[in-house]
Amino acid sequence: MSTIALRTLFLKEIRRFSKVWLQTVLSPLVTTSLYFLVFGVALGSRLREISGVPYIQFVVPGLVMMTMVRDAFLNTSSSLFQSKINGTITDLLVAPIGAFEMLLAYVGAAMLRAFIVGVLVYVVALTFTYFPLHHVGWTLFFAFFVTATLALLGMVAALWAQKFDHLAIFPNFVLLPLAFLGGVFYSIDLLPEPWHTVSLFNPLLYMVNGLRYGFLGVADVTPEASAGVVLLSFGLLLAVASALLRSGYSLRS
Amino acid sequence: MKPPVLRCRHVAKRYGNFTALRDLSLEVYEGEIFALLGPNGAGKSTLIHCITGLAKQSEGSIEVLGFDTLADFRTTRRLVGLVPQEINYDPFFTPIESLMIQMGLMGVRPNRDRAESLLKTFALDEKRDAYTRTLSGGMKRRLLVAKALVHEPRLLFLDEPTAGVDVELRRELWHEVEDLRSAGTTIVLTTHYIEEAEKLADRIGILHKGELLLVESRESLLDRHGGRSLEDIYLELIRKADGRHAA
Repeated sequence: MSTIALRTLFLKEIRRFSKVWLQTVLSPLVTTSLYFLVFGVALGSRLREISGVPYIQFVVPGLVMMTMVRDAFLNTSSSLFQSKINGTITDLLVAPIGAFEMLLAYVGAAMLRAFIVGVLVYVVALTFTYFPLHHVGWTLFFAFFVTATLALLGMVAALWAQKFDHLAIFPNFVLLPLAFLGGVFYSIDLLPEPWHTVSLFNPLLYMVNGLRYGFLGVADVTPEASAGVVLLSFGLLLAVASALLRSGYSLRS
Repeated sequence: MKPPVLRCRHVAKRYGNFTALRDLSLEVYEGEIFALLGPNGAGKSTLIHCITGLAKQSEGSIEVLGFDTLADFRTTRRLVGLVPQEINYDPFFTPIESLMIQMGLMGVRPNRDRAESLLKTFALDEKRDAYTRTLSGGMKRRLLVAKALVHEPRLLFLDEPTAGVDVELRRELWHEVEDLRSAGTTIVLTTHYIEEAEKLADRIGILHKGELLLVESRESLLDRHGGRSLEDIYLELIRKADGRHAA
């Protein structure tokens, strides 16, 4: 393994998103803060407690997770896809870099971006409603594995996509609906059947509720069940992304 | 004769039913300039892609200084540099940043002095901090050559480096190529400007529809054809090969 190449690619990816920080860091921060202001502060004051916590606190972990999911996905998918389109992927393909280093660098940088934005959203939330983290261990576990999973999904999407429209399918038609229906703004206990049961098939539900348990100690599903789904998704996407990179799918002819 | 820097043995490359390279064997020796000629679609870029890691051959083996390009890809890629046919650039980075990044990607500790020196060699030092997208076409082409040299490759591939380039820049590039050869770099180039190959190359290979029609030293090729130009010889060979395929 070339540690110099790994370090260079990791730092290059960080510099790439840092150079456009208005778009990659500030924009999601502003968007999520607006969600927080509207749903948490404005409407939250009119709503009763959910799962025994004030609504304004209930939405914070969901919004943090929604932002981290989106940013982790967008960082790998846009970077890798743009390299494919503008031809600079050649610089990487002729370099003595294996699939593992490529994966580690891209995923690591995406996780860092998602962490930065997630922490900033949490800090903004704290200015409106203070609460200590219920379980730091679970919080870090879910933040780590969910961002890694979504970064891997971003890589798979970038390898599969042949045009920008293909890439836009994931954030707009998959991740956003699944996040909204995954209990970011409500507890699925409020849903009638069959929607309650249907919701249990949404993997984003387990990601949101995993982080919610870490933040608040309440969730619609147990942290163990959430961890199981997250680890399964992570393992599956790690296997797919590794296999695609090793085979050179859509990169090497 | 020195041992080959590049050895291709029975290389074939297929894309579905289309055969881009068939049973190609070739050796390139240290310190020489080898010109690979052929019409569009002959398989020149495909062969270069198989050697540099952009593609994987369907059959056969390729060695760079005795190392297999598939089994020992980390070693062979450190030994090889590629100037691709298409201009590409990362809009996020400046020329100095691009060179430093490419050094690191090639497994070499980024060295600012080396990057500055390459920028100077390719007359890009005044644009070192400009965004790459603002460079002219010629400058972008020169940056590609500089990037291919960051790790001081033993074997350099130039895939049509003068396509769409003005006369002045073409001359500059060929001066650079000669300087590199003098410094011991082995060079494999493809070009559609046959007169350039006639002037520069030590040996010439002609590729047509995935088959190597001829590999010969420039001198012997020209001598054998009694003073005719390389362009005439090339066209005659291609026409004959087309006739054989048609029959």
